[in-house]
Amino acid sequence: MNVGVAHSDSNPTHSYFNSKGIWLTYLLLVFGVHLLLLSVPFFSVAVAWTLTNVLHDVCMFVMLHVTKGTPWETSDQGIARTETQWEQIDYGKQFTATKKFFTTVPVVLFFLASFYSRYDKYHFVINASVLALNLIPKLPQLHKVRIFGINKY
Amino acid sequence: MAYIPATWDMYDLIQGVLQAPWYHMVFEVALILLIFKIYVSQSFSPEKTVLTEKEKDLLVEEWQPEPLTPNVPDDHPIIQSMEKYCIEGQNGKYITVNGKSCINMSTFNFISMVGNKQIQDRAVKALRVYGVGSCGPRGFYGTMDVHLELEDELAKFMTSEEAILYSYSFATIASAIPAYSKRGDIIFADENVGFAIQKGLIASRSHIKWFRHNDMEHLESLLIEQNKADKKNPKKAKVTRRFIVVEGLYLNTGKICPLPKLVELKWKYKVRIFLEESMSFGVLGETGRGVTEHFDISRDNIDLIAGSLENSIASVGGFCCGKKFVIDHQRLSGLGYCFSASQPPMLAASAIEALHILQEQPRLLVDLREKCEKIHDKLKNVTHIQLIGDPISPIKHLMLTEPASDRDLDMHTLEMVVDYAMNEGVALTIARHLDSEENNLLPPSIRLSVNCELTDEEINKVVSVISDAFREVLQKLSSVDMKSPLDSVKQGDGEQIASR
Repeated sequence: MNVGVAHSDSNPTHSYFNSKGIWLTYLLLVFGVHLLLLSVPFFSVAVAWTLTNVLHDVCMFVMLHVTKGTPWETSDQGIARTETQWEQIDYGKQFTATKKFFTTVPVVLFFLASFYSRYDKYHFVINASVLALNLIPKLPQLHKVRIFGINKY
Repeated sequence: MAYIPATWDMYDLIQGVLQAPWYHMVFEVALILLIFKIYVSQSFSPEKTVLTEKEKDLLVEEWQPEPLTPNVPDDHPIIQSMEKYCIEGQNGKYITVNGKSCINMSTFNFISMVGNKQIQDRAVKALRVYGVGSCGPRGFYGTMDVHLELEDELAKFMTSEEAILYSYSFATIASAIPAYSKRGDIIFADENVGFAIQKGLIASRSHIKWFRHNDMEHLESLLIEQNKADKKNPKKAKVTRRFIVVEGLYLNTGKICPLPKLVELKWKYKVRIFLEESMSFGVLGETGRGVTEHFDISRDNIDLIAGSLENSIASVGGFCCGKKFVIDHQRLSGLGYCFSASQPPMLAASAIEALHILQEQPRLLVDLREKCEKIHDKLKNVTHIQLIGDPISPIKHLMLTEPASDRDLDMHTLEMVVDYAMNEGVALTIARHLDSEENNLLPPSIRLSVNCELTDEEINKVVSVISDAFREVLQKLSSVDMKSPLDSVKQGDGEQIASR
C-alpha cells in the first residue's frame, strides 16, 4: 500500500507497514525521541537510553498488541474487531519481512540501552521486562491466543 | 542504586562490556539466537489448512462439475407464467392478461397510485428537466435536487430527523442491517420476515436468533436467556450489540406486528428495534405513516424504520429514517446506497407527488381499510379456504383447509384455482418463494392484495369467483377419485398440449 496509489485491500492494516519508506520513518521517529530525551539536562546518558527503550517498547506494545480492530470502516463485517494490529499485519502470516524487522528493532534497542547503561542491574531489569512485553506476544505460538482471556473482547 | 555518572567516555563503556555480569551475557546471547532463528525461518500462515496428497486426491475425485446450463424443469413457475400469462399496459385496478381485462388482486397497488394522472404529469415534467437516468451513485454525481427534496419530504412525513434514499427497495433493508450489525452481534428476528430481511441478516454475519411468528413470549424467553449469558460474561456483553428485526406488516402472513409489546421489551432488555415497513408504509395508520401510527407509538422508540416506495407509493426505491446520527452512518456504510446508481430523478419526483397526494387525501386509507375488512368478512366464511392475515391488512393469504402432504401437489391445485379465476376475470397470484432458501417456508397460498378503489360489486365478484374456483377445482380433483390428484393435473396438462 502506497500513498496516492489505488489498492484493493478491504483492510489497509494488513499492508500499511509494507509501504515505501515506513521502516525508515519509524527508525527516524525513535531516533528523534532519543535525541529529545538526551537534550534534557538532568538525564544521564544511561537514563536517556533506558527511557528511550521503555517508551518505545510500551508504545509498541499498546499499538501493536493491545489495540484491536482498525481505524477504518472495513467491509469485512468486523473480522478485524477481535484481532490485534500485530495479528492483522500481512494477513496474519508469521515471519514476514515486516514482522522480522519489528522484532529486531526492540532487541537492538535493548542492546544499546544495556551498553550505554554499562550493564547496570537495575537498568537491566527495567529494559529486559519491557522487552519481554514485546517479544512474547510476537511469538507465532501466541497468535490469536489470549492468556487468561485478557483483552479478549 | 549505584551512582551513575552523567556520561562516560567510550573507553569506560568498552570496559563495561568486559565487566558485564554473566546473566546479562547469557540473556544477550539468547536474544541473538532468537533473532537468528527468526531470520532463517520461512514465513507461513498459521490459519492455512495444509492438505496431504491423499486428501488432495480425494477432493479431486469427489469433485463433480456443474452443468453449463442449469437443469430447469419444464414446469418451472417462471417458464410457465411466461408462456401462460402475457400482461399488457399498466397494472392498475384492472389488468389486461392475455388480452382479457381482469380485476387486479395480485399487485401491491393498495391506494391506487399506479396510473394516477397527477403523478404521471409530474414525472413527465421531471423527465423534461433531468432526462431518464441519474448516471451515478448518490456520492458520485448521482444526486439531483429531487433526491434531496424527497429525503426531506420523507423525513418530514415520518417526523424523523433524517431519511436516506435507496434506489431499490430490496437493497434498503438488506444494506441497512449489515451496516449496523456485525460479527459477534446478536439479532432477534421473526421467523417469517421477508426475503430481503433474511438476506440482510445473512450478510450481517451476526448471530441470529429466530423467534416464532409474532410470539412475544418466545421473544421474551430468548431475551431473558441472552440477559443471563450477558451477566455471566459482562466484558463480552459490553461489546455486543443487540437488535430486534421485525416487519410492520408481514408480507408472508398478512399480519401486523405487536409493536407496543416490542417497544416494552426493547426498553426492558436494552435492545434496538429495526422496523421494516415495506408493506405498512402508506397503508396503516390514520395518515399512512405506518405501524407506529397504527399503534400510536412515538417513532422515537424505533431505532430505524425502513420503508419501500415500490408498493403504496408506486415509484421505485426505498428509504430508511430515524435519528440523524443513525441515518448518516449509512451514507458511507450502506452498500446499496454507496454502490448503486441513484433513483431515476423522474421517479423520485413522482414519489414526492404521491406523498403529497397521500397527505391531501387521507380518505384513500379509510377506503382501503373498509375494503380490506369487507373482503376479510366475506372470505372468512368460504369453504375450502383458510384465510390468513389481519382484517385491516390489505394482504391476505388463502391457504387450503386440507393441504396434501406434498407441497407440489398443493401448488398445482392453487395454480388451477388461479387459472380458473383468470378465466372469470379476476387476476390472482400464488405467493412465490425460493423454496430452498426461505428460512421458514409457509404452506402454499394465494396472495391477495386489496385496492382501495374496489366497488362493492367488484368485491362480491372477486369473492364469488374465488369460492367458485376453489369449489370447482377441488371437485374436479376429487372426482378423479381413484387416481391421485397429481395424475389428473398431469393428464389435464397433456390434454391442453394436445388441444394446442
